Amino acid sequence: MQIGLNIIPIPDNAINKKQNPAPTLPSKTLPLTSSSPAPMASAADASGEDAAAAAILPPYELRATLSGHKRAVSAAKFSPDGSLLASASADKTLRIYSAHSLSLLAELSPAHGEGISDLAFSSDARLLCSASDDRSLRLWDLAAPGNPTLLKTLIGHTNYAFCCAFNPQSNLVASGSFDETVRVWEVRSGRCLRVLPAHSEPVTAVDFDRDGALIVSGSYDGLCRVWDSGTGHCVKTLIDDESPPVSFAKFSPNGKFVLASTLDSTLRLWNYSAGKFLKIYNGHVNKKFCIPAAFSITNGKYIVSGSEDNCVYLWDLQTRKIVQRLEGHTDTVIAVSCHPKENMIASGALGNDKTVKVWVQKEEDQMIKWKSK
Amino acid sequence: MNAPIIDPLQGDFPEVIEEYLEHGNMKCIAFNRRGTLLAAGCADGSCVIWDFETKGVAKELHDKDCVAPITSVCWSKYGHQLLASATDKSLTLWNVLNGEKVARITLQQTTLHARLHPGSSTPSLCLACPLSSAPILVDLNTGSSTVLPVSVSDPSNGGPAPHPRNKFSDGSPPFTPTAATFNKRGDLIYVGNSKGEILIVDSKSIQVLAMVPISGGAVVKDIIFSRNGQYLLTNSNDRVIRVYENLLPPKDAAKELEALNNNNNNNDYKGAMKLKVTGSKCLLLFREFQDAVTKIQWKAPCFSGDGEWIVGASANKGEHKLYIWDRAGHLVKILEGPKEALIDLAWHPVHPVIVSVSVAGLVYIWAKDHIENWSAFAPDFKELEENEEYVEREDEFDLNPDPEPVKELDIDQDEEVDILAVEKDTAFSDSDASQEELIFLPAIPSPDEPEQQDKCIGSSSKLEDSNHSDSPFSVDAVQNPAMPTASSPLEVVDNSAAEEAAAATNMKRKRKPSVKGLELQAEKGRKPIATKAKPSGKSSKAKNKNGDGSALEIEDDVTDDNL
Repeated sequence: MQIGLNIIPIPDNAINKKQNPAPTLPSKTLPLTSSSPAPMASAADASGEDAAAAAILPPYELRATLSGHKRAVSAAKFSPDGSLLASASADKTLRIYSAHSLSLLAELSPAHGEGISDLAFSSDARLLCSASDDRSLRLWDLAAPGNPTLLKTLIGHTNYAFCCAFNPQSNLVASGSFDETVRVWEVRSGRCLRVLPAHSEPVTAVDFDRDGALIVSGSYDGLCRVWDSGTGHCVKTLIDDESPPVSFAKFSPNGKFVLASTLDSTLRLWNYSAGKFLKIYNGHVNKKFCIPAAFSITNGKYIVSGSEDNCVYLWDLQTRKIVQRLEGHTDTVIAVSCHPKENMIASGALGNDKTVKVWVQKEEDQMIKWKSK
Repeated sequence: MNAPIIDPLQGDFPEVIEEYLEHGNMKCIAFNRRGTLLAAGCADGSCVIWDFETKGVAKELHDKDCVAPITSVCWSKYGHQLLASATDKSLTLWNVLNGEKVARITLQQTTLHARLHPGSSTPSLCLACPLSSAPILVDLNTGSSTVLPVSVSDPSNGGPAPHPRNKFSDGSPPFTPTAATFNKRGDLIYVGNSKGEILIVDSKSIQVLAMVPISGGAVVKDIIFSRNGQYLLTNSNDRVIRVYENLLPPKDAAKELEALNNNNNNNDYKGAMKLKVTGSKCLLLFREFQDAVTKIQWKAPCFSGDGEWIVGASANKGEHKLYIWDRAGHLVKILEGPKEALIDLAWHPVHPVIVSVSVAGLVYIWAKDHIENWSAFAPDFKELEENEEYVEREDEFDLNPDPEPVKELDIDQDEEVDILAVEKDTAFSDSDASQEELIFLPAIPSPDEPEQQDKCIGSSSKLEDSNHSDSPFSVDAVQNPAMPTASSPLEVVDNSAAEEAAAATNMKRKRKPSVKGLELQAEKGRKPIATKAKPSGKSSKAKNKNGDGSALEIEDDVTDDNL
């Protein structure tokens, strides 16, 4: 990896934006560095071989392409109850779909004054939180998913709000920002409960663990930190010898591990209490963008991530082998999400593509597999 | 609830007031079983449910009928219902989730303490301890009530002579306040009477099964079980808190007691003597706690969540003083609060947190004084106890050092990881899996007023408290040691109560727009100092002196940026 990548400051265009009231692109859809080399074909080739060696059965296939966003998609997520799929975009809008029929239920346009970088659902899918370059987060009531209403605007970040997450109890929202802090907000009142002086570079990811006791944050400063959400104290910092910018971090479903992406095209699964990583996943390309990853646990256990070679990658959790590459997007895949109950993956891509694609394992194949068991 | 990563050593007792809750005039408090919600009964007859995680009001329970001050609140086992007793002699059972009244009955007397039967998730049976008569078992559905026996029928063998200090030593039961509690399963009721005896009563047959005389024979003011049911605490008028070990098995205690009694039938014991013999097999005096010097009366004693600590408050007028003992009997800490008398007290079921209610109706939250764990921030740094001399390596400053040995990955990446399995929470091992526990109240915020959107945070400030009851204690933010000074924009609005000051700083800020990075640096640098500057054990008043200076400055930046 590039030595000293982590000391490269906030991208130029981001700094420009700070002075310029009318930025052109939201932070999430901008690369970290402008001088990055072209995507490495070799990596893609190697992964192609891997895919042949170990494959997911039945393979995921494209079920639908959801277009409508006018600019880059920045986030696409299924709700924790599996009923909804929402996407956020640089075009300042949010689109909410039924996860079953994939029909568009609502479009919030504009949902924010600037491009939107992230969204999160509350556990019961009643609330949706969006984080925007207008420095605010907004809470939307989805009691009627077809007619979302704005409940609260969370104001406090002094730079782009970049990522957000609900705790499982859904009485708190955590947000990470380019102002290098993590803020914890009370959902009921919209008050900011805490400001965690979390990092020394923009915060790229926040997540709560399964019981809401811990928060993990990742940042361009190359660190992942784990926080006690009740007190706001830092309880652990994850760092390897090298510290490329952390572009994404989340807890495993049981809250015992942290999956972190770094901009050296690597995903690591950390045992955070021991401060050691257990597994490395690579083969994809991730050098510029904050691309999320996901745990797929509905049919076997896989790690899913987007990639700058326009594919979605699936690795076997245990063997770390690439089991499938989903091709179809025409730009960097900047968003992925796994349906909580069904074998379904949603992915979204940047400005050349602007679509959300939904991938499923073919039902017939599944039936055969079940019968053969 | 805490993941194992959180330092187990912090799990002891609280040391300082971390913040306080303000909402009406609160009189009594109770945690739900998990400590996620705190119920408080108010002087105006309403009850407030606090979300203890966010310290925000999650629910208000009120009704036009309930206007008299609340004397006690009690959760049902799984937290779906809340029982409140009030000075208008009423008992009200609330459905916590929807905030509706389930039942309301009026008794002959004002109930000082009411406790729901712990055995069921939707209990109809409750134990009410009135001001001046024997405890009664009340069926909230039917309204039928049963008076519990408060003395053993055979007085000849009765306990020791009443203590001279007893104010109610005339022995007339109807005018004797008595304390009573269910055991953990609710099959037995432990009654502490005015003669200084603990009677163990079967909650079904209402028969006295055993009796334990308390040395000193003073009126029993409080009787409380530890959370795990293994220890029983009594607070007597003789200024002694006694802790007993419960010798009965947690399951089928009543049956066991029955068996003990049957065994005793073979012996020659009769009447009270027999009950005493049985009693000696039920409770064993474990410890006595008192202040040998000041001999103060105790108020609202209770166990810590894990039963390792016992806390009692001084009952002296105008004192807000908590005494904490370990179970071995050592006084480990005296916490002194604001100059407002304490009226109720509760220890958090799992955390080292105590909440106390002052006579002014505020709820103070006591927590551990946090010491920043710097090695958590930078794992490659080691915290030293004292200075160490560093001995450099031979080649450490050589211009061409030997290439560092390639670090071996000592990690077996092929080891299986389990990303799904979770351990059962041992602290709540008695949870019935079939029962869904009400742990959190859904947080559905009320929409911002459209024209106030940009001021939404301001609207929840204390200044406009009457309109927006959601966040009545925004001033606390600075007080919270966990929060860096720049915590929330709320303070700005609060501070702007002194409008001139705020305006002045705003102006300053406008004249001198600083670079954000610098501010954040400054904020970080300031943080440890701010932590120290937090008021220690003092009420909010201290906050204005300590916290504001640094808070103002940064907060203004925050708001300015939003303008």
